Amino acid sequence: MAAEISDEALDFLLARSGLALTPAQKAELKSVYAGIAGMAERVRKPRGHMAELAHVYDFTPADLGEDR
Amino acid sequence: MTAAIPTIAEAAKLIAAKQLSPVELTQACLDRVRKLDNRLCAFVHLTEKRALAEARAAEAAVMAGGRKGPLHGIPIGLKDIVDTKGIPTTCGSKILQDNIPDDDATCAEKLAHAGTVLIGKTTTHEFADGGPSFDLPKPPARNPWNTDHFTAGSSSGTGAAVAAGLVLGGIGTDTGGSIRGPAALCGIAGIKPTYGLVSRAGVAPAAFSLDHIGPMAWTAEDCALMLQALAGPDPRDPASATQPIPDYTALLGSGIKGLKIGVIHHFHETDCKVSEGTRRGIDAAIATFRELGAEIREAQLSPLQDWQACGSLISITERAAAYDEWAKTRLGDFSGRVQRRLMLGALVSGVDYVQALRRRRELRAELQAAMSGLDVVLTAAAPGEAPKIDNVPIWDLFERPSFTIPFNVSGYPAISICSGYGEGGLPLAIQLVGKPFQEPTLFRVADAFEKATPFRNTRPALVA
Repeated sequence: MAAEISDEALDFLLARSGLALTPAQKAELKSVYAGIAGMAERVRKPRGHMAELAHVYDFTPADLGEDR
Repeated sequence: MTAAIPTIAEAAKLIAAKQLSPVELTQACLDRVRKLDNRLCAFVHLTEKRALAEARAAEAAVMAGGRKGPLHGIPIGLKDIVDTKGIPTTCGSKILQDNIPDDDATCAEKLAHAGTVLIGKTTTHEFADGGPSFDLPKPPARNPWNTDHFTAGSSSGTGAAVAAGLVLGGIGTDTGGSIRGPAALCGIAGIKPTYGLVSRAGVAPAAFSLDHIGPMAWTAEDCALMLQALAGPDPRDPASATQPIPDYTALLGSGIKGLKIGVIHHFHETDCKVSEGTRRGIDAAIATFRELGAEIREAQLSPLQDWQACGSLISITERAAAYDEWAKTRLGDFSGRVQRRLMLGALVSGVDYVQALRRRRELRAELQAAMSGLDVVLTAAAPGEAPKIDNVPIWDLFERPSFTIPFNVSGYPAISICSGYGEGGLPLAIQLVGKPFQEPTLFRVADAFEKATPFRNTRPALVA
């Protein structure tokens, strides 16, 4: 992930998010982009496609038909 | 203990023995509110009439032999992101200035059921985020040890109110340290319980998978008494745990001889260097635990920066999703600090979020392995004494990793307790971390430390 973001890329992300920022807010957001990029880099590890998360469904007795 | 302000445990014994009137106790808290809160700004809304009515009802019940338990007649405060039926709940925001909920949050309901007396709603950072803001309807809370200084947040009002004796206990919420931070800087005890132990229903979300609700009080024992009333399954909260609820005070006073305490030195010596006073406080705490018979060992985890990155990406994304609609339509109605936090959501991709969730699982497994031969882990709770309130960085999440966020990422229970006072006269703190649902052990160790040290004998000078 690049440590800098172009004005065009930032405008694209903001348009997609639906946030309407002032030029000063855009400039400030651009100035901290490297911080987010650094965090994203830290959580990426070589772990392979099989290292997927589990999702836990909290089934209730009613879901399982055990309430009848 | 300071005679004028009892702990919950002390007050409970006196009330049970009919030697302390809940009405007089409540009146004393309200007197301190009137005397001090114009300087502390710990409350955003007082419920004085309701408090006196609840206190009178508690007194009548106790006198008639109907005492409910140790919280009956105890004055408390609720953070202003906790829904309270018929009482304004603004989340510290212009957006919810006129919000009056139709129902109580589960935690508010449980404390009321236990017989507590609600003094009022305590100051919070806006939607439990951002930091001390001066562009909100109400000013930020100030530290009772020195009102020029920050309380930490976001449970800032509860921290200040407990330390100054405006209440005996209160509710905080913790997404990255918002119970333990104010507990540390205000010199009180505050526990973030295991994820799911206390229901989040009716509490405004910050980041759903990191959000915890918990008690803040003068001592660990008081937190245990409050947690007893708060813990338990709740069908209104899909993350609610179904574990059996133990007696949280059962192990208090049983000593800590033979318990194994792991110290994560690299957190405060390498990853995020603490002040000299904090380092000395940690070393002195280790010596105290050793004198009490605990075995001290070294523990090691991934650098704090890894935990911070993981927790921040999750937090930024979940918060942006929770407040997406208002961010799009009313961004300018948030404080400048929260606007900045919400803006960050645009920079985190869906893939970044899932990679953070995958990293979280690895970090959690790492903590589980590190704690396998230990009973608790000890870390710093804060980098030093409270900073000046006008000197809190806007982008602190990029500047300095947090000592508390690892245990939101992992869901493990963690408590902050006072470990002395620094050169500036402000409190210092340590953080103790337990295994999931092992809060009784955490209270046992924290209580042993508090009783072996003199730090619970001193209240802020402005209270005198």
